[in-house]
Amino acid sequence: MQSGDDEIKEIFLSEAFEQTEELNKLFTHLEKNHTNKQAIEAIFRITHTLKANAAGMGLEDIAAIAHVLEDIFNEIKTDNITLNQDLFNDLFKANDILCALINQVKTPGLPVKFRGIKTKLEVRVKKLKDEASENNLQDAAHTSQAQLNKDYKKPVLKRKSPSKAQLEKASRLTKTILTDAKTGIDMIHAIQALAPSETTDPNPEESIEKEAAKNKPADDTKIVISENIHIPVRKLDNLLNLVGELIIEKDRVIALNGEHGKGRLNEYTRLQRITSELQFSVMDIRLVQVNVLFNKFHRIVRDVAAIENKKVNLLLEGTENEIDRNILQIISDSLVHLVRNAISHGIEPKEQRIRQGKGEHGTLKLSAKSEKNEVIIEITDDGQGIDPKRIAKKAIEKGLLTKENASLMSDEDIIYLIFEPGFSSAEKITAISGRGVGMDVVKKAIDSIGGTVSIDSQTGAGTTITLRLPSSMAMKGALLFELESGAFAIPLSYTKAVIAISKKEIHQIGNNLMTTHLDKNISLIYLNDLFNLKQLSDSGKEKFMLRSFNKSSMDEKLHIIIISFNKKDIGFVVNKLLQQKEIVEKPLCKPLREVKFISGATILGNGNVCLVLDAPAIVNFLFKGSKPSTHQSQFAAETNY
Amino acid sequence: MESVTENKILPVNSEKKQKSFQIIVFKLGSEEYALSIEQIKEVVSTPNIARIPLTQSYIKGVGNIRGNVLAIIDLAERFGIASEAEINHGTHKYTLVVASEEYKIGILVKEVPNTLRVTDADIDTSPHMIQDSSLGNNYIRGIVKSGNRMIILMDVFKIITKEDKEFILKAD
Repeated sequence: MQSGDDEIKEIFLSEAFEQTEELNKLFTHLEKNHTNKQAIEAIFRITHTLKANAAGMGLEDIAAIAHVLEDIFNEIKTDNITLNQDLFNDLFKANDILCALINQVKTPGLPVKFRGIKTKLEVRVKKLKDEASENNLQDAAHTSQAQLNKDYKKPVLKRKSPSKAQLEKASRLTKTILTDAKTGIDMIHAIQALAPSETTDPNPEESIEKEAAKNKPADDTKIVISENIHIPVRKLDNLLNLVGELIIEKDRVIALNGEHGKGRLNEYTRLQRITSELQFSVMDIRLVQVNVLFNKFHRIVRDVAAIENKKVNLLLEGTENEIDRNILQIISDSLVHLVRNAISHGIEPKEQRIRQGKGEHGTLKLSAKSEKNEVIIEITDDGQGIDPKRIAKKAIEKGLLTKENASLMSDEDIIYLIFEPGFSSAEKITAISGRGVGMDVVKKAIDSIGGTVSIDSQTGAGTTITLRLPSSMAMKGALLFELESGAFAIPLSYTKAVIAISKKEIHQIGNNLMTTHLDKNISLIYLNDLFNLKQLSDSGKEKFMLRSFNKSSMDEKLHIIIISFNKKDIGFVVNKLLQQKEIVEKPLCKPLREVKFISGATILGNGNVCLVLDAPAIVNFLFKGSKPSTHQSQFAAETNY
Repeated sequence: MESVTENKILPVNSEKKQKSFQIIVFKLGSEEYALSIEQIKEVVSTPNIARIPLTQSYIKGVGNIRGNVLAIIDLAERFGIASEAEINHGTHKYTLVVASEEYKIGILVKEVPNTLRVTDADIDTSPHMIQDSSLGNNYIRGIVKSGNRMIILMDVFKIITKEDKEFILKAD
């Protein structure tokens, strides 16, 4: 957690410095042109943000000054304060103090005195307000003065060593006075005199000057340029692309010379090392902590729980784990959806929870952990779990499943039906769930970045949804193989095994080919046949799908890649296996963006393009084709998105 | 990048001050076609092409052009004016890289194309032609007459935009 806090602090500091700089600039503009409404608005906004940020960081002093500035500009906005040179002097001073305070957060040093200027500015605001309601205040002022005299006789006498409590009380009273009446101003100075480091000088003007003098060494006119820079992600994307190309080019150079120049091994090793370090540095820049996303859920959970009238505690775990910024962006909507689902479908209404002895508050846990090149995000609730019977009923109603099939399926398989397009288990449509984006959209988003989703649900005890995500989108392991039409790659995240069997071991069942692998029956498909289809609707017909099978001889060894996706296994028969390789996948650009079964392309060491198979799309297509009920409409849906 | 030779056939008539611009002329089948020069980014020798499954046959596939993976298209085959031998053996040595804000694709050509400077007056923009309805009717910008030559000036992106979806085989 420590490193996480440090990072937040760094971000705060860099922003705060920028904000004070911006304030300086805007004050200057405003000083030249007192009617600059835009500048006034901007200052108001900046001080407001700064106040909120500082308060969030627990930096009360900074927040306090920003707060006063905000108040003043609120008055300026409504033309209650007229701008004059005197005010600007104070504003610039206040900003200097802000700078000094922020600096102090960065490198702790002598404490910065800020109360003088704060008080002075506060008084300005109060004066205004008081003028409006002066009459009302007279009485209050008298009472408070009397009380003050009574309360503070003792501390004023014991000036040598005022206790902390006394000081606190004093400052609290300062506030009381300020809200009471103008007459309080004199008393403030008296109370301020209690602070050991401050003089009894009753003139705030002078004490401010002194503060400024004391703070001098810290801020002076030294220009501080922030140590953090903001970069648009687009630039990083570009950089990453270039690094990807560099790696491809490096592989190519090494492959070209490898055969001849064995003696150059050293140079190549160095090149290899530098490029891979470069790659990891670039990837590292793109990593952000998951709390960037997780922290947004405090509010979301609160809002959803309020609407659903449920009580939910949010727990965050492992927020310091890092993940590629773009991946976080892609999954953010999915995560929101999953969290909403967990609250509105998972966690029970409080009456029901109490009846079941679970405790009024439901718990929702978001946790992240890193494992090798993956980040695993879990959304856990302690609600009622997913009821397979309800899912099955719904699936049958929606025509995703027949009654006979439902009775054959395991509970687990049934639960996974919630990922099917067109499935939405919300029985009534509420503001939160059932807005048309279903779990299938979540699934698609996760698939698109090569991640996986799994569900573990215990009826009555809760549900855990696990997202396994690549921590970086840049490189992925892939298996290269050859088909009639050239080389293809398939991401290793989908491959389960590679086997070589002879045709004898393959059985034809109807139009399907099956074999056994590790005691499990697996459907086989010749990718060549699939890719040679003239129309996708021919996929069920024997003469197309079994063309290669019928042609091959009985003893021929067949290379099969077994892929696994969404708990479905299938074997792809390929011509030849090539190698395993780290690839940089690029999406195909327009006009080929909607090409089926291909998710992108990579450039190989020899400069040739190698297409990357979209395994999820192929598996979905093949298994959909075999579904009984909604055969036709499924096909249409498949082609239209 | 192959050098592109320029033959200025038409002297610019300075008196009339007509707007002149350059076009890139290439052969498809036995006819001459042209694109306006700003649509063309470069001419390269055709890279190895990876065929994309389940696309129309005139989409030859994708190739690596300076680190970019671009779709490569045979317009001759699309127009139905390519000979069998051309389709099967891929005699197209060069690729024109054409780019708009939205698209960047390669177009196969047999020979290094020429540039030609023409003026607006050289272009007959309302040719009385029976348009091929399958290609849409506005991809031809006009006919350029240059001596005995008749050059078809087209807007390649009109073709691509229209066919964007048709590139990919449908289920029906």
